[in-house]
Amino acid sequence: MSILDKMQRIDRRYIYLAAWIFVLFPLLNPLGLPVPIGRESRTWYNYIEAIPDDSVIIVSMDYGVSGMPELYPMTVATMHHLWDNCLTRNWKIVVLAFWNQGPLVFDTLLTQIDPAERYNVVYGEHWVELGWVPGSETGMAALATDMWGQTPRDYLEDRPLADLPIMADIRTAEDVDLVISIETGTPGLPEWLRQWNDPFGVPFIVGCIGVSVPGMAPYLASGQLSALMPGLTASGEYELLLNRPGLAVAGLDAVSMSHLLVVLLVLIGNVAYFASRGKEVR
Amino acid sequence: MATMWELIGIWTAVFFTLAIYSFLYGENPWFRLAEHIYAGVSVGYAVAFNLDYLRDQWVNKWSLSGTLMLLYLIALFFGILWYARFSKQYFFAYRWTLAIIVGTGIGMALRTVIFTQFLNQIIAQARLSLWVSGDLLQSFSNTMIALMVPSVLLYFWFTGPARDRPPMSYIEKLARYTMMAGFGAAYGYTVLTRYSLFIGRSQFLLGITPNPPEARMAFYVIAAVILITLFAKDHLFKKS
Amino acid sequence: MEIPLLITAFCTLLQVIPYYLNIPVIDSASATMRDWMLLVVNMAVFVGVISLGQVHGKRIQRRGEGWPFSVVLIVFMVAMAIVGFPLEGIGLGFDNAQYLFMFNNILNPLGGTMYSILAFFITSAAYRAFRARNWEAAFVLISGTIVVMSNAPLFTSSMPFLITWKNWIFDVPNTATGRGVMIGAALGAISLAVRTLMGIERGYLRGGGED
Repeated sequence: MSILDKMQRIDRRYIYLAAWIFVLFPLLNPLGLPVPIGRESRTWYNYIEAIPDDSVIIVSMDYGVSGMPELYPMTVATMHHLWDNCLTRNWKIVVLAFWNQGPLVFDTLLTQIDPAERYNVVYGEHWVELGWVPGSETGMAALATDMWGQTPRDYLEDRPLADLPIMADIRTAEDVDLVISIETGTPGLPEWLRQWNDPFGVPFIVGCIGVSVPGMAPYLASGQLSALMPGLTASGEYELLLNRPGLAVAGLDAVSMSHLLVVLLVLIGNVAYFASRGKEVR
Repeated sequence: MATMWELIGIWTAVFFTLAIYSFLYGENPWFRLAEHIYAGVSVGYAVAFNLDYLRDQWVNKWSLSGTLMLLYLIALFFGILWYARFSKQYFFAYRWTLAIIVGTGIGMALRTVIFTQFLNQIIAQARLSLWVSGDLLQSFSNTMIALMVPSVLLYFWFTGPARDRPPMSYIEKLARYTMMAGFGAAYGYTVLTRYSLFIGRSQFLLGITPNPPEARMAFYVIAAVILITLFAKDHLFKKS
Repeated sequence: MEIPLLITAFCTLLQVIPYYLNIPVIDSASATMRDWMLLVVNMAVFVGVISLGQVHGKRIQRRGEGWPFSVVLIVFMVAMAIVGFPLEGIGLGFDNAQYLFMFNNILNPLGGTMYSILAFFITSAAYRAFRARNWEAAFVLISGTIVVMSNAPLFTSSMPFLITWKNWIFDVPNTATGRGVMIGAALGAISLAVRTLMGIERGYLRGGGED
């Protein structure tokens, strides 16, 4: 077998081994590569900064444990951003989920961040968690017209919503000023837009996994979606904008090295392909 | 320092992670064990969650009046009909429940898909300015979108011999190149997602904060054991 | 077959009519229907259990290939369902230590790892199949490589023009493709919904040995 043939037929197990090395090495020995700030993360940051005072913001945890590596860092960063401004801007933050594992992911976040201790925000007054709302798109439609009926008690303390001051004036989608959906599939933005944006005009910003990003482009272009956080790289940039480097930034070196591997392999494959084609022609 | 139970939990999590990754070497019993456990635990988890919802809804809403209680019982009846799908004789009853779900779902989507995914997109397309004063690139981009979107639509509407003749032959080419560029972008983002997930798992295996540091030792030991057993199985199999 | 079609049409119209006409009694019935339907959907909870039980139960009974794994599957399924059962009075439920152990140390790692393993396959596939054999393949290759490189700070810090190129690919051909497909899919969804409403489309009712 010629060298060109060998270049085109590398055993897949060596490729897998290379993937392990290219990812583990920068995690064990951080390279400290510079991170340019992209358009998407800056737009997300600026959008949240520009949320008007006295706004009611829903944060929807529309993902499960399988999406945590890519979406959890942006969730943590976004909640930091929201809680940090909650008191001074009089924002009311309502956390819920249309994926049944969403509340469990948020539980993990709460074991790492105590918003009361860190930001002096009071649960039930400045923020609340309503838990899982089942039914996918049907549940979204039901929630839009009757939030108290869909989630009669809160998730963390199991108290009736009537006992929570924050929920006094939050009954329907018309009382909500922004939905931040962090999502990984269905139910997700299309369902939200159909049941909340089109009938009630509620604006949306979405953080999603990379696979979902191309599908978001038409919504972004038409203005139905106001800002998009596309995956781990943008999450790392956002953490840097907040001056709060976390899990996303910690993983960016590995993102760089793994993408370098993919580019190198594609290059090797194509160089060998064209060189061997040239040889055949001759 | 982790307690004994926490340590057992960490080693369990590392084992299951590496058992799935052992598939990269080839199909093997570690992977099959992890795969079957995942299927079982996922379904068991869904059972717990759904029953909890039904209980909460009864306590907080449907038990509050006679009419609501009756509606809950009717829902229970139609819910039981789900299981008629397992019987050839009573399969027809399963269709009633399915009809309710499908009908309501279609109604929900039909209400607004016309606006969200059709009209709003057409409005956005119609609002494109082909000439943006002072911005040649934006003008060019808008013109390209104005040509590309109809070409993609026509590509799917006119198939077969219609594509062999102009103007469809030119439209088809534009549509194909547009979609190829779009699919390339989709591929690029897919690489980001998959590697992000792998990096997340790797951070856990290496015990990088906020993951428990004890995971790293478990990673080294369990990886060695799995690899040794896989090599040994291969070697013994080859020998026999 | 007629009763299910009538039920489908009724349920569809009950959701569509209130959106376009302001009739309070239908509006209220529609909202109640949505909540009520969620109860029905959640009662399908045991369908998965029965399906798995049928498949793996048969395998265990016949001592089929891999039957010990089927035993493990059923054991874990039952265990997870029992420990998570909403009976907090007897120590079960979501705060149950065994439930949390299984969720955090079994379900969580397995779920995350299952999706992440695709990273290896996508790398191997890119190496083997991503060839610029013709102009169309070259377009995919070039746009894909630009997006891959622009998602990596290693490249964008030294070649910032990659971000500009990626933004253009995202804003123009990607948006055009997405918009075209979305409009086409919406038309298809609307026509399918109307056909279902009129009883012409009956595929969802098939099964059970009769049409």
